[in-house]
Amino acid sequence: MSFEPKIVGFLCNWCSYTGADLAGTSRIDYAPNVRIIRVMCCARIDPTFVLKALRDGADGVLICGCHPGDCHYSEGNYKMMRRYPLLKKLLADFGIQEARVRLEWVSASEGQRFADLVNDMTQRVRELGPSPVRMAQATDMAER
Amino acid sequence: MEERKIGVYVCNCGSNIAKMVDCDEVCAYAAQQPGVTTVKSYKYMCSNPGQEMIIADIKADGLDRVVVAACSPRMHEPTFRKALQTAGLNPYFLEMANIREQCSWVHDERNAATEKARALTLGAIRRVTYHQPLERRSVDMCPNVLVIGGGMVGMTAALELADGGSRVYLVERQNCLGGNVARVDLTAPYLDSARDMITALITRTKEHPLIEVLLNSEVNSLEGFVGNFKTVVETIWGDQAATNQYEVGNVVVATGYQEFDASRVTHYGYGKLPNVLTSFEFETMLRAGRVETKEGKSPQYVAIIHCVGSRSKEFHTYCSRVCCMTALKYAREVKSAVPDCYVSDIYVDMHAFGKGHEDFYRRGSEAKTLFLMYAKNDHPVIRKAGPKDDCEMLIEVNEKLSREVIEIPADLVILMVGMESRKDSEAVARLVNISRDKDGWFIESHPKLDPVATTTDGIYIAGACAAPKDIPDSVAQARAAAGRILARTIRGTIDIDAVFAEIDEDKCSGCRVCNELCPYSAIDFNVDKKRSNVISALCKACGACVAACPSGAITARHFTDEQIFAQIEGVLA
Repeated sequence: MSFEPKIVGFLCNWCSYTGADLAGTSRIDYAPNVRIIRVMCCARIDPTFVLKALRDGADGVLICGCHPGDCHYSEGNYKMMRRYPLLKKLLADFGIQEARVRLEWVSASEGQRFADLVNDMTQRVRELGPSPVRMAQATDMAER
Repeated sequence: MEERKIGVYVCNCGSNIAKMVDCDEVCAYAAQQPGVTTVKSYKYMCSNPGQEMIIADIKADGLDRVVVAACSPRMHEPTFRKALQTAGLNPYFLEMANIREQCSWVHDERNAATEKARALTLGAIRRVTYHQPLERRSVDMCPNVLVIGGGMVGMTAALELADGGSRVYLVERQNCLGGNVARVDLTAPYLDSARDMITALITRTKEHPLIEVLLNSEVNSLEGFVGNFKTVVETIWGDQAATNQYEVGNVVVATGYQEFDASRVTHYGYGKLPNVLTSFEFETMLRAGRVETKEGKSPQYVAIIHCVGSRSKEFHTYCSRVCCMTALKYAREVKSAVPDCYVSDIYVDMHAFGKGHEDFYRRGSEAKTLFLMYAKNDHPVIRKAGPKDDCEMLIEVNEKLSREVIEIPADLVILMVGMESRKDSEAVARLVNISRDKDGWFIESHPKLDPVATTTDGIYIAGACAAPKDIPDSVAQARAAAGRILARTIRGTIDIDAVFAEIDEDKCSGCRVCNELCPYSAIDFNVDKKRSNVISALCKACGACVAACPSGAITARHFTDEQIFAQIEGVLA
């Protein structure tokens, strides 16, 4: 059986979570690998949320917010956008591949885009294999 | 931590969830979790018996936290919060797991969907453990209303609100009221005069003591929150500009639509062939009482082409809803102005869905109008007729029903231009903080159940600014928006969400990073104490400051770090 990654999705309440709901009401089928956690705005996403998810067994983390200019809180997505390169740098230092964490914009009307995104992300993380954090934890456990 | 008593309720949603998710398995899994004392599944948890079951369990089993695994919290979170409240529990002790929109409806493999539903439910169980009791805040509701747009919808909403006792500021960019309806002659299907309808509305609006009509005006800014907005309106008279500030509790956006630019469709020769008109240009002709060509001749052949800019891959994929009936109206009006004229109606599909529309279509087809059907992306082609032809133009139609290429003579061609979102809809959306869909129409809170509200509390949308609509639907929305606002205004106060950020003074270092980050200037700096604090009434709970605080001094109520951490652990367990 092929490796099925676990992905945590942090979605803003106003655009992306609503977009994910729209994928549902439109009955657009997509990969079941993403578990969604709702936040009010992507600016609420503390880098520690991402690290916590990776430590707790996520193979990938998807962060979604409103398109630039469309943020419910005017500019929260820009704040996330600026925080993101730092997060990426931190992850690189930890030896976590870039493609495991992704920041994307999904509007409330983009159900199809959300579904495509989940499929694409799932496929890419599947190709990368289990997260190195998970692997290291498994080795740790074995050595103990 | 003290022992919790969590009740977990898994909804089948008829077969919507149960078909793809093994609800019994989700229940069995939930029952094994520490703190969970009651687990039930039910056909429709949101129904009265479903809610009553939860209420009864809270009382009988002494539940102190509730998880409902069902539809999206955007759908029924208010319903279940109310149920908790009825049972005497703080409404914020609820967490929902979205196992319908984000699970059963988007997956086609039962085992995988069930596993995901289990994970989402566990995330909710872990999260709810850390939920804190929160009190909703009650704030005064200002009874004044801002209505943006002085067309039929704006005026109708303004009158309804003013009749109900609210003071209304009606802002119109043009120098007169009336909007697009004022450009129309008769209306389908009953052939009432649009002018009569709109004139009566304008007169009443202008004379109403509670309506302040602001012509030549635009809304410059809107700040605040439901019940307590402040708006600045700029009025320009000639080379003079004045700005006024108003306090309003609610806003109705009724900015309407713009017509599709027919010159974008090159094969119809609009702008090049003088006798190819848009439907609005033809309305002007009808209102002037003359149906004639540019050369002043009475036309012998009139052709009407449907779906110009609508239902096409190139332009807009949606149907503009009013053009089919308007086209039939033209056929009638042409015949009554020029009785021996031949009218051809070149359509894609005849959409006659409204009240009285089908009868109107039947009468139209009996009146010897020639109906020709073309395939969606196989447009008719118009060319200038030769000197030997007895007409101005010839239209080549690949007729779908007969499968023949037919050539139609025409002296006058009317292009049924569709509706599109206004060029400035993006600016309006940003001004009042609402969203637009891919076509630029404003998005409603719920397309079926809450069609005039938006995701921003206190901002309502009505009429064609939300999607193409005919007059009856638009008027219904205008009155609906007004009704919604009046119903809330009557109470005088409004409860607003208890979710906002708080700063722990003992942890705050006074660095002021958060002060600059807040988009609502809701964070105040106390110079004496050298500490920041949140003005809760202004905070909209985005959480940007929470994630940015270097000292971890800011808590997002109901979205605390420990709650989200617990949810992460749950969904990954």
